[in-house]
Amino acid sequence: MSTVVKVPLRYRIPWKKIVLYVLAVVFALYLVLPFYWIVAMSFMHEVDAISVPPHWIPVHPTLENYLGFIHPSEAQQLVGGRAIDETPYSLRNSLIVATSTAILNLALATFAAYSFSRLKFRGSQVLLMLYLLTRMVPGIAIIIPFYLLMRTFGLLDTYLALILSYTTFALPITIWILKDFFRSVPRELEEAARVDRCGWFRTMWSVFLPVAAPGLVAAAVFAFMTAWNEFMFALFLTSTRAAKTIPVVAANFATDFNTQFTVMAAAGVLAVVPPLALALLFQRKLVQGMAAGSVKG
Amino acid sequence: MAVQAERRPLGDNAKAWALNAPAMIVIALLIAYPIAYSFWVSLQRNNLKRPRANKFIGLDNYQALLSDQAFLSALKVSAVFVLVVLGLTVVLALILALVLNERFRGRGLLLSLALLPWAMPGVVNGLMWRTIFDAKTGALNGLLTQLGLIDDYHAWLTSGTGAFLFTALAQVWNTLPFSVIILLAGLSTIPSELYDAATVDRAGAVQRFVQVTLPWLLHPLLIVLILETMNAFRAFDTIYVLTGGGPGDATTTIALLDVQTVLTFTDFGLGSAYAWVITAITLLISVGYIGLLYRKGNFEV
Repeated sequence: MSTVVKVPLRYRIPWKKIVLYVLAVVFALYLVLPFYWIVAMSFMHEVDAISVPPHWIPVHPTLENYLGFIHPSEAQQLVGGRAIDETPYSLRNSLIVATSTAILNLALATFAAYSFSRLKFRGSQVLLMLYLLTRMVPGIAIIIPFYLLMRTFGLLDTYLALILSYTTFALPITIWILKDFFRSVPRELEEAARVDRCGWFRTMWSVFLPVAAPGLVAAAVFAFMTAWNEFMFALFLTSTRAAKTIPVVAANFATDFNTQFTVMAAAGVLAVVPPLALALLFQRKLVQGMAAGSVKG
Repeated sequence: MAVQAERRPLGDNAKAWALNAPAMIVIALLIAYPIAYSFWVSLQRNNLKRPRANKFIGLDNYQALLSDQAFLSALKVSAVFVLVVLGLTVVLALILALVLNERFRGRGLLLSLALLPWAMPGVVNGLMWRTIFDAKTGALNGLLTQLGLIDDYHAWLTSGTGAFLFTALAQVWNTLPFSVIILLAGLSTIPSELYDAATVDRAGAVQRFVQVTLPWLLHPLLIVLILETMNAFRAFDTIYVLTGGGPGDATTTIALLDVQTVLTFTDFGLGSAYAWVITAITLLISVGYIGLLYRKGNFEV
């Protein structure tokens, strides 16, 4: 300790920083490039999209792939005409089904989640565990009875069949997410309302729920995305443009051998935009919810 | 306390169960009943195309599974698929989460980008990778050729092994964000004093990772392992669109086989038996998961 080693002041290469930034750039490219490719392709003419070597940016940008969904050109009509025709309908169907699912879910889950966040009751742990367990049930396990059930009631190819099945998927997750959000709402608010002689429903409606609104929105977004992205049940339960959702029609593009890649890409982009916009808009809450409930939406 | 003195028309118990009733009824009707019913169907010969041949056959469907080549092959494909997807996902997610846990310019942007694959429907994920892996015009071929890594365009999806690996890669891209978020949440709970102490002790970066980070990450890692195992085990959308199970049955996972059995061959009896095997395996895994959460005390109400 007595001798002080004199180290010449020298510039130290900030290895940590370099590694960090290299990794960040590599990951950014990995995450964004595949998506960029279908977005770019959706604005290309078919000739450019299939050229070798590929054009990485649309050299002659065009909207014809998107406009084709409204007025298909003859060429588009010829290859994959049915899927093209069905795309606008399927977008409408998906929107209706996903929105209804989100609302129905919220209505059912709010009560249950409230009970877990505010009341001490016997069996609460078991019940919470049961909800989680139902979430673990693979969709494929209930799809056959679901199909037979819907057939019996004449509900095949209707919105209702889809909304009901997606509600059951999303319900346990929604309860788990809401329970955590509700706990962060201060109890004093309700107690103050009670002192003011507000009834329970009144308290809920005009005091508790407005404060819990961000959590409710996040849960609704989760349910919406679950319904929007779901494919297997939609494949079983729908067959015409009356109820086919966008994943089913998008899959039709892919399984049809002479589909134009550009049109398929455009349909894919249309299918991604709503969930992606929601994810970015509600990023913070969704991340919080995902981590808290450890659930996949 | 004053609150105690108030009149309480309903006890907390009754009130709580009343509040849970709507959700419970829906779940009982739409999950519990179908699951039980599907077990009943799995005990029957039940083919939509031959309704008159329907009859109760006990466990025959299950017995048939033991010598059912398609089933055994699908089970193997699923198992390997889970292993490959899980391995890649955990390694990539851990690195990305560690990166995101640092402070640097552009961190917020990277986090937003990380949500992109999560928001993408599995079907779109499948068709996206189809255009990328395409043998004649795909972006992967184009990129590798331009970088000088390959001379000719390859047909990535025509060999069984190739199709399997590339399908796994497509699946990893889709499920990565979920693991990243959970691991990132775990990382953010590590007290920074621990790192300071380790730095004072002159622990290197690797040592710090092994001695401080990993032990704290054990729990989130287990959660990721369990949930991603389940996701990979029932993976369907991406595979259906990307390869449709082919070539041959190289990518026919158990979920895919089940859907084919039901949709194409309308064999509801056998399909239900497949489904019950999937359910049983999933249930085993989830019991482990719930046990884990329970031990952590996540269930305190």
